[in-house]
Amino acid sequence: MDKAARALGLFAGQKATDAMALVPDLVSAESEPEADATALTALADWSVRYSPAVAEDAPDGIFLDISGVAHLWGGEAQLLADYRARLAGSGIFVRGAVADTPGAAWALAHYGKGAEIIAPPNGQADLLAYLPPAALRLEPAAAAQMERLGLRLLLQILGLPRAPLARRFGQQTLVRIDQAMGRADEALSFRRPPHPWFARLAFFEPISALEDLQRVTRDVAAKLCARLEQEGRGARRLRLVFHRVDGRALPLEIGMALAARDPARIAKLLAPKLETIDPGFGIDVVTLEAEAVEVVSGRQVRLDARAEPAIEEGLGPLVDRLSNRLGGERVWKTAPVQSHVPELSARPAAPLTAVPPYAWSPEAPRPLRLFRQPEPLDLVMALTPDDPPRQFQWRKRLHRVARAEGPERIGEEWWRGDIDDVSPRHVRDYYRVEDQDGARFWVYREGLYEDGVPARWWLHGVFG
Amino acid sequence: MSGFRDSRLAALKAKIAALEAGGRADSESLPFGAAAIDACLPGGGLPLGQWHELLGAGMETELGACPAAFAALAAAPLARRGQAVWILRRDDLFAPGLVGLGFPAERLIQVCARDEDEALAVAEDALSTLGVAAVFAEVEGVDLTAGRRLQLACEKHGATGFMIRRRPYGGQARKETAGSAAATRWKIAPAPSEPGSGEFGLGPPRWRVELERCRGGRTGAWLLEAEAAYTWEAEHGPHPLRLVAELGDRQLAPAEPVRLSA
Repeated sequence: MDKAARALGLFAGQKATDAMALVPDLVSAESEPEADATALTALADWSVRYSPAVAEDAPDGIFLDISGVAHLWGGEAQLLADYRARLAGSGIFVRGAVADTPGAAWALAHYGKGAEIIAPPNGQADLLAYLPPAALRLEPAAAAQMERLGLRLLLQILGLPRAPLARRFGQQTLVRIDQAMGRADEALSFRRPPHPWFARLAFFEPISALEDLQRVTRDVAAKLCARLEQEGRGARRLRLVFHRVDGRALPLEIGMALAARDPARIAKLLAPKLETIDPGFGIDVVTLEAEAVEVVSGRQVRLDARAEPAIEEGLGPLVDRLSNRLGGERVWKTAPVQSHVPELSARPAAPLTAVPPYAWSPEAPRPLRLFRQPEPLDLVMALTPDDPPRQFQWRKRLHRVARAEGPERIGEEWWRGDIDDVSPRHVRDYYRVEDQDGARFWVYREGLYEDGVPARWWLHGVFG
Repeated sequence: MSGFRDSRLAALKAKIAALEAGGRADSESLPFGAAAIDACLPGGGLPLGQWHELLGAGMETELGACPAAFAALAAAPLARRGQAVWILRRDDLFAPGLVGLGFPAERLIQVCARDEDEALAVAEDALSTLGVAAVFAEVEGVDLTAGRRLQLACEKHGATGFMIRRRPYGGQARKETAGSAAATRWKIAPAPSEPGSGEFGLGPPRWRVELERCRGGRTGAWLLEAEAAYTWEAEHGPHPLRLVAELGDRQLAPAEPVRLSA
């Protein structure tokens, strides 16, 4: 109801014929509550740009929980101003209020003076005092009763003893007062982002046999996959939840290296895990949720039988089987890292990552087996402090060095760690040595030569 | 007369080879490129679509570095055709080291198994997967049943297995089983390298390679060298291993039976 309409004498709840009599050329439209609700939901979705916690207040309001986000806009007032300005830009004129409690904010937004009201912390009582009782979101009967008794302002009600108030106007009135004043909590149902990749099967009778679990897993997977197929998508992670009769939910999770939507494959990956489910008194609902949903274009499988087989046919399912059976961290492909420190130059990556060829220079000899912890060498003899060793003892065996190559000096990455920990003692001089039998080792001396300090030697890997 | 005899013999040999390959007529092989080695192997090269056993001696039974290096070099041409899977019990395989030998580490998926049975099960699973050309597994031993299962898995899509015998550190040696379903068994030991004249340091890595068992072929011992290791040419060329010398001092029985003739 805008100003122009009010000036013509129109008001909400007026009969259409009366309105037509006042304004003969009035254009009337049917009220559409469903369309209004949809528009409100859309507005709530849009409001997420201001705060992640947004709740709809049908038919015409929205609650935003802005605790902790107002500073991003420069303050509560700036947030509210920005909100109203953006909506005004699209032809929607709203009133807004910021207060400690949803109840107070609702009251100020609906009945306060002005379109933007900011209640100071713990200051809502003064602002609410001169509002009508309807601002408390009372039941219509209670509000009408107050009106009849001449209670026109909240000021008059807030001072009344609580027990008679509850007897006369109902318990709900007390709750609403407390909610507005911050003495009681109010639960808002915040909007949840839609999660469309979800399938659910409910059973008439609770099930518990393993064969039944396998069957319903297939069925629920088929249900979800049909939808994924329709929209050209596949899931990388799936969560199957068995809901027991006693209210407990038993989740199972599987991951896949490539997005998939083949129910048989999904059921096969889940099958070995079904044995861990304890059905208790029975399971009456099963849900399957797809996470990490990606677009999967249906690709043509080989026309040319001689070409390299597609990953989806062989390697993808193998990686899935292995990582679901052994655990994801036990299946990997080594990917390069820009680092000179040998143990840092390779990292485990997802098994189907594309790693470029020659990720590491073949010209820098690196051992085939690199020990996670370098092993100390005993009885090391070197001619001069910065010479390769002539002999060393490792695992109680003496190795005489026949040939040696080096040193390759590898310093520590001082720019990564704490500057106080940087020390020339972390420099490593690597030598490739070959013993009398031809076994090749990668040994290093730790630190620079210092007078009086015996050099420390380590074995970091073997070449084979 | 002799021509007829030769052709009959060749036909019989082919028939036996086909029987041994489990009915797979197109049993391929990967030649080493050295006549001395290829002549010992059935089909003139390392048989594909079967599995091979590799073992070391002494310190290598626990480290498994030399057998692993030899397996990687022998399988490098294979890995360039498809994908490779390496099953470990101990996570100490260093991919940059494989790249230095000329193995395409970008096509290698590594799996760390929790125990021996799991390693064999994963190997079997990987061997029977389409698109996997080579599977390496570090295991303590392969008994006859497990070996037959591996062989069946190999025959599914023609993948080749390399079972590297490796004992856990400080573990007891396993009792040697009598038979084996492996196509070949190799024993790899390091050998001193020879740098080129006027060069310092280490030469290209060398191994003393013994073919201990070979189904449908003969045994032998050779000195092999990875000529192009640790250079940019490592991934090129027909075969990364070069024959340096045939080793005369065989501890095994002579390969060819002594012909008693008048």
